[in-house]
Amino acid sequence: MNQLLAVIAVWPLLGFVLSLLPGHRQEKAIFAAAIGTVIVHFGLLIVWLVFWAAQGFAHAYWKGFDLYATRSAHFTIDFYFDTYTAVYLLVTVLLTFVIMMFSRYYIHREKGYKRFFNNILFFYFGLTMVLIAGNLETLLIGWEFIGVTSFFLIAFYRDRYLPVKNALKVVSLYRIADIFMLLGIWLYHHYFEHNVSFFELHNLMPKGEPLVHDHFFAVGIPAAFLVAALVKSAQLPFSSWLPRAMEGPTSSSAIFYSSLSVHIGVFLLIRTYPLWQEQAWFEYALIVIGLATSIVTTLIARVQSTVKTQIAYSSIAQIGLMMVEVALGWHTFALIHFAGNAFLRTYQLLVSPSVLSYMIHDQFFHFSPPQHHLRPGFWNRVYWSIFVLSIREWNLDSIMYRLLWMPLKRLGNSLNFMTARYAVYVFLPLYILGLAGVVFSLAMPGVLLAWMPVLLALISLLMVIKAFVKREEAHNAWVLVIVSQLFLALAIAYNGQFDPVQMIMFYSGILVSGALGFLVFYYLRKAKESLSLKRFQGHSYERPRLSVVFLIASLGLIGFPITPTFIGEDLMLGHIHKNQYLLTFLIALTLIVAGLAVLRIYARLFLGPHQETYHEIAYRSS
Amino acid sequence: MTIHKSSLNTSSKGFQEEQVLHRLAHYLPSQTPLKDFIHHNSLHAFQDMKFYDAIFKASKMFGYQVTLQLNEYRKLFKIGRIRRDILEKLIVERKGAAHLEHWLFKTLNQRHDYNIDPRIGRLRACWKEAYHIDLDNLVQPLLFRMVVSYLDQGIALWHFPFEDKGLLAAVRELEKRSLVSFFRTRYARTLLMDETLTLKQLLNVVVGEESFYEQYLFDQAFAHRGWSGMVATLEQRPDTLLYRKRITLREFIMLELLMEIDALDHELGKGRWRPLVKAAQPASLDLFADVPLTEFHEVLMIWQDAFEWSYYDEVLAGLQQLKGFKTQKDPDTTEERVFQAIFCIDEREDSLRRHIEMTQPRCETLGAPGFFGVEFFFQPAGGKFYEKLCPVSVTPKYLIKEKEAKGHRKRELLYTKRSYTFIQGFLLSLSLGLWAAVKLFLDLFRPKMSPAISNAFAHMQMDAELIIENPGPDAVENGLQIGFTVPEMAERVERLLRGIGLVQHFAPLVYVVGHGSSSANNPHHGAHDCGACSGRPGSVNARVFAFMANHPEVRNTLYSRGLHIPDTTRFVGALHDTAADQIAFYDTHLLPEALLQLHKRCADDFERALDLNAKERSRRFASINTRADIRKVREAIRRRSVSYFEPRPELGHGTNALCFVGHRSLTKGLFLDRRAFMNSYDYRTDPDGKFLLEVMKPLPPVCGGINLEYYFSRVDNYKLGAGTKLPHNVMGLIGVANSSDGDLRPGLPLQMIEVHDPIRLLILVEHYPEVVLRTIRQQPELYNWFKDEWVHLVAIHPDDNTFYYFTNERFELYTPLKDRIDTTPDIYALIEQAQEMESNYIVDATKENLPVHIITH
Repeated sequence: MNQLLAVIAVWPLLGFVLSLLPGHRQEKAIFAAAIGTVIVHFGLLIVWLVFWAAQGFAHAYWKGFDLYATRSAHFTIDFYFDTYTAVYLLVTVLLTFVIMMFSRYYIHREKGYKRFFNNILFFYFGLTMVLIAGNLETLLIGWEFIGVTSFFLIAFYRDRYLPVKNALKVVSLYRIADIFMLLGIWLYHHYFEHNVSFFELHNLMPKGEPLVHDHFFAVGIPAAFLVAALVKSAQLPFSSWLPRAMEGPTSSSAIFYSSLSVHIGVFLLIRTYPLWQEQAWFEYALIVIGLATSIVTTLIARVQSTVKTQIAYSSIAQIGLMMVEVALGWHTFALIHFAGNAFLRTYQLLVSPSVLSYMIHDQFFHFSPPQHHLRPGFWNRVYWSIFVLSIREWNLDSIMYRLLWMPLKRLGNSLNFMTARYAVYVFLPLYILGLAGVVFSLAMPGVLLAWMPVLLALISLLMVIKAFVKREEAHNAWVLVIVSQLFLALAIAYNGQFDPVQMIMFYSGILVSGALGFLVFYYLRKAKESLSLKRFQGHSYERPRLSVVFLIASLGLIGFPITPTFIGEDLMLGHIHKNQYLLTFLIALTLIVAGLAVLRIYARLFLGPHQETYHEIAYRSS
Repeated sequence: MTIHKSSLNTSSKGFQEEQVLHRLAHYLPSQTPLKDFIHHNSLHAFQDMKFYDAIFKASKMFGYQVTLQLNEYRKLFKIGRIRRDILEKLIVERKGAAHLEHWLFKTLNQRHDYNIDPRIGRLRACWKEAYHIDLDNLVQPLLFRMVVSYLDQGIALWHFPFEDKGLLAAVRELEKRSLVSFFRTRYARTLLMDETLTLKQLLNVVVGEESFYEQYLFDQAFAHRGWSGMVATLEQRPDTLLYRKRITLREFIMLELLMEIDALDHELGKGRWRPLVKAAQPASLDLFADVPLTEFHEVLMIWQDAFEWSYYDEVLAGLQQLKGFKTQKDPDTTEERVFQAIFCIDEREDSLRRHIEMTQPRCETLGAPGFFGVEFFFQPAGGKFYEKLCPVSVTPKYLIKEKEAKGHRKRELLYTKRSYTFIQGFLLSLSLGLWAAVKLFLDLFRPKMSPAISNAFAHMQMDAELIIENPGPDAVENGLQIGFTVPEMAERVERLLRGIGLVQHFAPLVYVVGHGSSSANNPHHGAHDCGACSGRPGSVNARVFAFMANHPEVRNTLYSRGLHIPDTTRFVGALHDTAADQIAFYDTHLLPEALLQLHKRCADDFERALDLNAKERSRRFASINTRADIRKVREAIRRRSVSYFEPRPELGHGTNALCFVGHRSLTKGLFLDRRAFMNSYDYRTDPDGKFLLEVMKPLPPVCGGINLEYYFSRVDNYKLGAGTKLPHNVMGLIGVANSSDGDLRPGLPLQMIEVHDPIRLLILVEHYPEVVLRTIRQQPELYNWFKDEWVHLVAIHPDDNTFYYFTNERFELYTPLKDRIDTTPDIYALIEQAQEMESNYIVDATKENLPVHIITH
């Protein structure tokens, strides 16, 4: 019967595929596919729940299949079900159902009706995967899906500037969460030396002493997951992305950013609880961060004069409290809190446009002008200072910018020598030499051999950083990303035993995607379209199909799950040894930046206001 | 600081600050806070020019799209919506018959380069060139947050400190007392602290060259025209906010300049940047220079005219042929009428009038502006403010008060602001959270009226008592006279009745039907209410007018002036909810028993007419099957108006195109698909046009304003409209923006304009052309609307039913080209067969608008 878990996990994917079939204007068929998926899913879930209850609510586990397996590594899809899954999944199904019913006529005649439902279904699939995942790899796949659909739902109005800009902003934070997930998984594997599922983890859980003993791993593993959770749940210092994510239709903002997606961090912490329980420092850290977030965002919420941002910050404050609850071990209470907050904020966001008439009416009858008291005194000064700080959102947004973007930009802009030409004429021959070296196991001085992976990874990193700030033609940046990925693989090849199959798997993804990208450039160039990355070009206005093709190429190049690159990436990480922190850091950073650079190319070329002004163009500020 | 002192001494010859600010405010959008929605010409700043000159100039200056796109016109031509005969006729008129082929090629086939490349924004773009800096990104988010916080009407839990002092002073005060600053660098903050700081000083720092100041200010303001426009409007009309704020455009600009200095200092370093003009040497540009019309413009003009006349011609042909049907069939007899009903001229009442005339053939319907000639402020019981209930341009001297209200409006638990606080938020998310889950399902499957939904009938309590008659000369409140005296009442009743030609053959019941609109989750709900009542429901006006017309002393006065209303006639006020298709009648308990019985029968007629009206409207709604049982359709229509998930509770004024001034017999029997404003007027009772001026005066600003707002929001929904409603975020209860950092979006949202064909309003007046001409000439403001072609005007000659089109300041005979108009014996079949649009792309959308039909049964 546990196979049913697999059906429950995969069912939304079927729905997603089904929803791709109808034409753009066949709203009824699109909606039927979407709502049908959720209803059947709900039915399956109920059947399972009955069965599960009959089993006495025992932790259920289904050992799935190996997506990829060698002697050294295997990538397994497992499923797992416990009370937390049950509650999260039920809330997810109910809210998704409500949102879809709401959107049926709400999104009517919107240009992206189909896109909207496709995205919601894909998100739904991703979320189900996360909730029902039996191990960290499976969870990561769902996690990545959620990240990518986030990008598309924020940039739903792709012909305007702000949605695209904010989508990039949010997704770059998400990338950080992704990489910390990868790092966490990497550490986890090294510690347990094989793929430990949640089920096993739960059974391993000792009483009264930490599960992870090694000091480094005891800090490293939970810390990595903590960062990932903090980003996803918009906790300090990452909070400012949440209000900026409310760019799509109200209903998608409601399901995504005020309820489901934003509570994933809490879930991740509950899931990884065995890894950090009995570790006082972690619990204190979580309590401090949760409380601090809660207090700061409540203060920010107090000065918000726009409905949706007010709801967003209030929601973050509650999630901060949930973090505290999780740290204290009150998991059941946190679940109730989650459900309540998710429903409340969804409702508030859905009806947020009616606040105008409701409150104006209220004011008409009950208005009393506020008292302007001017008492000198220390507390007033504190109050005013908090006011100013809160209007500035405690500088959270600019801190992120300063910490994350500015150094990259500075570094990138100083790498003047790093051009596409340079990459092709200097680095490519170097690369071939390196490849030959590894294939024929050429003799090399020991020191050089030891530092080779780091050196190669560094070159790779510099290339993607340059690609990230490129302002010229798109193909320059594209070439840099491709060459950098080649170097990355080479670094790994020098690091461990060389496995041609894995290498080919990774390369096939990179090269096919790369070529596809070039095809798109060629086509655009032939049509005399600008390829400049200086500004948003908005080509999707005239060439929506081409934009989809390029999107697939981009996702392939950055190793989105479902592409061979992703599996390759995961396998490669497996080859990094326990103590190679520098190498791990460089590779992780390269993967983050490569992802950003590619999404930036996509956004600059295809999204944003169209450059031709023969038709209506949105203001930049709108 | 020496630079600034010297700048104080420079002569003010180049930069006239007051004038520039005034001009800037003039060009900015003038939409008031959304609680009241007043339709107006979106390009009001250009209205002193001829229509085409104006729109193309606006386009060049600000980058607006001002007509449909060329390929859209061509597609409209292909599907026959633009007619070939009309197109050829227009080309011949404009270019001469000899050039017909040549110009046909230009309009139909020639390729044109039509990128707009606007003048606005070019100067400030130099920042990017000179310093690779994006000032808008650095400044706007915080600027918007500060100004919305300052103006906030009640969303935030904390008010902006010192907000009573004015924006800049409040910021200054806050800077003085807070431990934290809005600014990141010292210089900008020091400048702010100087209370003698002037705009010119700041411009000198930022721009550096006086001749560029104006252009810079325009560039800056139009980079966020929503907020700049709102600030300028609130400076001029602070009374449009309940919670009044002091703000001026000047201080808003100064704040932005200070923040720009801060951003530049912070990004580039103090002293490491120079004023824009010094750094970039931009080419000088006259923003306001005339835009010479090009051949491409002319092609667009021909197309737009052809699009308009393809429809007008059909309407005129319909009018002409209708007369033929009428003379054969029923001549308009003056047999005993069961009731008369005066509706608002609103084009949404066109269909209801048609249906009520069908369900009760012995009734007469009339149209008058929905404030029914009674202008006043209204104060509901317990209300702390007054609401204006008359056209915006009128400033009433009267106050109508609600004496007492029985039921108090309930509150909605889930809207409590306490859920945004720390501890209560925690408790509420646990407790209310579960209630919210239940509510989500209830609202989805059982939507019903709630306090959070704007309810047209709640504007005035159903059974509230009003003080309508002035109790005595002392009854004055805040400079307003409470109620009207008898002579004041008589004057208003007479003016309205004579204006619409209702001076004899009074039926026993005369209904005065105002209208309003209920909708849920709709910040633009005001745009659906009555335009003649300043965007509010017309219930109070209807009731007040009925009271006046029933007043015995008023009747006496009228009698002495030759207007005899029989004692057996009673006026009854009513309100029609145009979204829910519900009607309520006021003060029926005052009717004598016999009339009450009659009223009950009439009310049934109204109910049946509303059923049919709901059916007709439902053809445009995807959620309703028009062919379903009529009760079901009616119920579905009602539910739409209380459904949170329905962004189109109704379609407002979409498709409006015509405005009739004449007797109902002119249009009765014509299916106009709810596209015509209809003002009753009888040339026979007013042969020299004595009342015509009063009747015509409000039409261009009210109906023309509506029409032009729809026009511009349709042709450029991104810049002149508000875009799609779905991502809208309510800002400070003042307006909507797209996201947390976005600019305010004035104009109409996509969901309101997608059914609209962007054509100008055609006003048709049934009177002798010379009388019409004489009338409109009396007032230049009125005359210019027609002279400059912002609205079209046709006089219908009463003697021979010929048409005279007003062009080049005179009336010219117009003979319709279309020889056959569709006829239908059954409009319900027509409605049931009508196709819903495939998409809201104009070429698909326009197909949903049905052609003119003559109803032959």
